[in-house]
Amino acid sequence: MSDGARMWRMARRIRNERLLSVRLKIMVPILLLFIPGMAWGFADPNILLPGGHRPDTAMEILFYASLGVVFGATMCAVLLAFDGVSKDRASGMLELRLAQPMPRTQQADALVLGFLQAIVLPVLVLMVLSIGLVGWRTGLWTTALESAVYIIATSLILLWYVLFALLASTAAREQGTAVAFGVGVWFLFTFLWALFTTMVAYASGVAVGEANDPAWIALEGRLDLLSPNGVYHHLLETQLPTVDRGIPSWQVWLAALGWTVLPWWWLRRRMNDLVP
Amino acid sequence: MARVVLALDKVQHRHQLPAPRWFKPWAKRSGPGIVKLSLDLHEGSILGLVGPNGAGKTTLLRLMAGILPLQQGAVSGRFRGETLHPVEDLRPWVGHMPEQVRWQGHQSVVQALTELADMRNVPIKRVLSLVKLVGLSDRSEEVLNNLSQGMRQRLSIAAALLGSPKVLLLDEPFNGLDPVAARAFTDLVKTLASKGVSVVISSHMVGHLNGLIDRVALLHQGQLLDEGPLGEVERRLGLAGRYRAAGTGSLSEDLLQHPDIEVLEHHAEGQAWELTFRGPASTLMVNLMEAAVHVERWGPVEPDLVEWLCAATGMEVDDISLNVQAPSMVPLATVEVGEDE
Repeated sequence: MSDGARMWRMARRIRNERLLSVRLKIMVPILLLFIPGMAWGFADPNILLPGGHRPDTAMEILFYASLGVVFGATMCAVLLAFDGVSKDRASGMLELRLAQPMPRTQQADALVLGFLQAIVLPVLVLMVLSIGLVGWRTGLWTTALESAVYIIATSLILLWYVLFALLASTAAREQGTAVAFGVGVWFLFTFLWALFTTMVAYASGVAVGEANDPAWIALEGRLDLLSPNGVYHHLLETQLPTVDRGIPSWQVWLAALGWTVLPWWWLRRRMNDLVP
Repeated sequence: MARVVLALDKVQHRHQLPAPRWFKPWAKRSGPGIVKLSLDLHEGSILGLVGPNGAGKTTLLRLMAGILPLQQGAVSGRFRGETLHPVEDLRPWVGHMPEQVRWQGHQSVVQALTELADMRNVPIKRVLSLVKLVGLSDRSEEVLNNLSQGMRQRLSIAAALLGSPKVLLLDEPFNGLDPVAARAFTDLVKTLASKGVSVVISSHMVGHLNGLIDRVALLHQGQLLDEGPLGEVERRLGLAGRYRAAGTGSLSEDLLQHPDIEVLEHHAEGQAWELTFRGPASTLMVNLMEAAVHVERWGPVEPDLVEWLCAATGMEVDDISLNVQAPSMVPLATVEVGEDE
């Protein structure tokens, strides 16, 4: 068996184990509520958003519904992967795995791909359902490009949170620390980032929360590149012609690449130096 | 002597312990571990690694298995005429059984082993034969959560044997094994050794290893105090040729005073007595028989780790047990091991 095949086989095993886990079964209602549930809500033909705004494209509706991904799916990714390494460390299995001749970087890749597939597959199904729900309720359909960006961006944000959770898991000696670190990172980027943005704006003399102030929009756009959730929204905004926060698409995709490569590289490095 | 398959040359690994300071909360300091240890492992030999808790047995096994990085020194392996240096390159040749693996989950025994077998490119046929070898063929489809401690230990043995290793590292393998399984395991280890597999078994119970190992390495505070064939090490420590007898009857002082016999311990309570001595056992036996003393028990003194440690370090039992708790290393290497007597 080639190295690649061996790695994919390990990833598949992790995916299957987690897909059938009780944990995922508990999360499915949450995902249902947050992904197709939100799409259903925002696809209401009579919806009136703050400022009297009505979404007028399918992608815009999915953009608003992506809040469900940010709040629900990312949390599920963290809860699924937080003990990816720490559980094996506690049970002694990690020692057995580290003693095998399979390179540790490949073991790290298998972990990432396994956990990613375990969360992405159900989310993908729900995303396709969301696209269908929006089309059915409003008669508006996303283009192939919009659907592709929606799916790729969502897969990427889930990948980033899986990477954060696994990194925390390699550092933690026990499960409590691992879950605290994973949820802490999720909390930081999901809730506290707004506070951080506000503080930076205040320190920079930018009027806080002025939705039409170009200085505020530009600052928020730039700071969002430093947050995975922000980059996710930037990626979706590349398909919304009415939204322009002054960040070119190439910078957004570059940030997405950075959020993918750096934590992945760090995880591989940590796996190489890992002690049971 | 058989050729050396694994050579450790002044290897060192000291665990890095958190030592946070106000301006450097991530700071670490070196704690216990293995210090400048050299050891050769011979083909087909069974080496017993003995030492008290915290001696560094597990750390040394993990170094040999390529799990822990070397901070100093070198490990080289010689397999099929090839010399391998980076410790990671040795992994395909080394089978490692950790001290305790809590096999858990909804996987079956075969599935769990297959997962590890894939990491070694081992075919399923080999997995099934190992399941049979360790006596789990009736439980091959059993869910891991349902296994007893002894069965989990057997599964760990099977995992260590995946890939037909040339060096087998077993960390406290007797934990949780019932006497029948322990006997079967001992036979298995001997069979493997006869086929050229080099085995290292760690234990804090020397008695478990008696009759199984052909060499012993005595470890304390991360340092190798002595290494060699069991009898030789005992002789070097001044603990060889000791016998213990117990019985009832009048044991006079004259009876014990023989130029060739050295009485090491003598306890008497009423008519019952127990005697530990060094010297020709037959001489004392004849004397006891002639004196019409009733002998109930008679035999060589079994090796005892505490005695070995006391003899090797020149310390008292209490001092040794306290030192095991100490987080810093004491340079035991300065303590001389007894000369051949």
